[in-house]
Amino acid sequence: MIPADAAARDKPCELLRVENLTKRYGREMAVAHVSFSVATGEILGIVGPNGAGKTTLLEALVGLLAAEQGAVFWCGEELPPPRRKEALFYLPDGVRPYQDRFAIDAMTFFARVYKRTQAQAAATVTAVGLTPVLGKRVHALSKGYNRRLLLGLGLLTPHDVLVMDEPFDGFDIRQTRTIIDLIRQEAARGRTFILAIHQLADAERVCDRFLLLAGGKVRGIGTLGELRAKAALTGGSLEDIFLALT
Amino acid sequence: MRSPEPYLAREAPLTPLLAKELAEIVCGRALWTMLLLVCPLIGYSFVQAVSLYGEASASARQSPVLAASLSPLDGVLVPTFGAFYVAVTLLFPFVAIRVLGQEKESGALRLLIQLPYRSSTLILAKLAAVLAAWILASIPALSALAIWAMMGGHLAASETVNLLFGHLLYGLLVGAIALFAATIADSSATSAIIALAVTIGSWVLDFTLAGHSGVAAFVAQLSLTQALRPFEQGLFSAGPVLGIIGAIAGLSALASVWLPPGTPTQTKCMRSVPCVLAVLLALGMTTQIKQSVDVTQDRRNSFPAADQRLLATLRLPLVIKVNLAPEDPRYADLQRNVLAKLDRAMPNVSIIVIGSHRDAAGQPANDAYGEIEYSYGARSDVSRSTSPREVLPLLYALAGMQPPASAPGDEYPGYPLVATADAALFWFVGGLPLLIAGAWWWSRRPPAKSPFTCRGAQS
Repeated sequence: MIPADAAARDKPCELLRVENLTKRYGREMAVAHVSFSVATGEILGIVGPNGAGKTTLLEALVGLLAAEQGAVFWCGEELPPPRRKEALFYLPDGVRPYQDRFAIDAMTFFARVYKRTQAQAAATVTAVGLTPVLGKRVHALSKGYNRRLLLGLGLLTPHDVLVMDEPFDGFDIRQTRTIIDLIRQEAARGRTFILAIHQLADAERVCDRFLLLAGGKVRGIGTLGELRAKAALTGGSLEDIFLALT
Repeated sequence: MRSPEPYLAREAPLTPLLAKELAEIVCGRALWTMLLLVCPLIGYSFVQAVSLYGEASASARQSPVLAASLSPLDGVLVPTFGAFYVAVTLLFPFVAIRVLGQEKESGALRLLIQLPYRSSTLILAKLAAVLAAWILASIPALSALAIWAMMGGHLAASETVNLLFGHLLYGLLVGAIALFAATIADSSATSAIIALAVTIGSWVLDFTLAGHSGVAAFVAQLSLTQALRPFEQGLFSAGPVLGIIGAIAGLSALASVWLPPGTPTQTKCMRSVPCVLAVLLALGMTTQIKQSVDVTQDRRNSFPAADQRLLATLRLPLVIKVNLAPEDPRYADLQRNVLAKLDRAMPNVSIIVIGSHRDAAGQPANDAYGEIEYSYGARSDVSRSTSPREVLPLLYALAGMQPPASAPGDEYPGYPLVATADAALFWFVGGLPLLIAGAWWWSRRPPAKSPFTCRGAQS
């Protein structure tokens, strides 16, 4: 992977910048001229309703979808699509990796690929709460445990930026809080998260900044305070802001 | 949990990727189902082949000439592996498609391609899994060989290994076709349709165009089935071997081009063009390679050794004009007994077929139909024989040479075996399927102990 500069980890600075990203499906503009940046250790929430273009934006960002237009910069240097996997790791929504294998096999595979020690892998398993289901086949996991497995796989990667699509889908309130704490701990260690979330309450709890997306277009970007100012809603929730701006 | 040291893509170890691919293919039902289906198929073919071979051997007890015509390669090995060929053609694509198709359908491919491996590495790892699957699928056929040997049947090492190698190449070719189909198709079902259209389509092509001439003969040559023919005839031919390897490499390269989902289709098409051209060029070049080795014990693809040595010294061009239609049985005899052997033995042989289907149908106008004209240097002669016993002296006369003295002890003794393998059917429909089912169950057992539950683990 491409390591972020050591100095960049010590203080928040622009790690990743996306400029003018555009993706069309035929005549339909799925993502229209989206630009944003994210700093080291930051948690950026891409917030929007179903069909807003969140998944398309993430997949175009990580290079899994060919975008018609736009560029991604890593520490100021342009990152072409084939090299984006060196800097970003994307955890898609609705994926059940290696369904016929046991959860432990999937974790072991990623741990071995990224040369994690047994202790590091065990710590990840414990952190995401996978221990009770390690001996279960992936297809037999509940939605919540499958989500934990994906998060565990993501945490085993050494990438500086984790891009996650609907990371809290399938979790109850308690589990969501546990996972939010885990993501925050990782962010505090310098890992950056870009999360696509359609549950605004969850997004408000976990994200440092928000990118409001509707109809493939950016309707607002900034911290909760900045968005409140933009929407002229003092003390409004993210939901109120979203409704005001979209 | 994060690694403080930079992680370089090139350092990603291959072992976990290979282990994962092998485990994936062993975990799936497709391989085990194929194995269970292959057992009775191969068993029945083997028992039938041994039974017929045994009957022919009984007749050959009284006749050394008849015994000399009994070769286990033709009598037992080729029919037994013929059943394996059918299974590989019809069932193996499903096994090979699984190595990519399931990851594509479950979405796991989107994780896989983000791992620090090149697309080509991922495809090669999957091809390695296909190879492992073929090795497992060949167990019933290999067990048939073991049973034949235990019954006292003769196995000539060179021709057996050559036949196995041919089937291995054919299996890998079918696997590479299936893998490429899985790469370009969205679902496993579509991949299966594409792969089977190629494998069964070429099979049908082989059947329908067999014995035809001209364009039809050229099209028939494109059939995958043709790839196995030299190996079944006991020839190790450099051209077909390199051609199949080139096709496998080309299909793998194309699969690598089409694997990454983030590349625009237009770019993929443009990158495919040099791959396709390179494969076509390689295939074209391999058709010009004539080198081959006769690995059969009875030297059926060669003249006697003394003739081979003498013919190799005839450096002038030999032009053979055959006034026979390609579908005429006499042409098939001539091709097998004389032309193919001459082509291998002499450095410069040109064969021109001037007979037509109309001539073969018995039109009275062409009295020359059936004549074969041999021109060597400035001299020529005509014969109607399809036997080397008459053609070789004619050639030596044209070249002004004396025929070599036949060396004693050159004759193939033949390996008759009066036996039946009916009891072996119990192995193929009982014992082996039970073992396979047991291995399937064993492969699906849960992990005994978790390596991730050690105490005091710290990130």
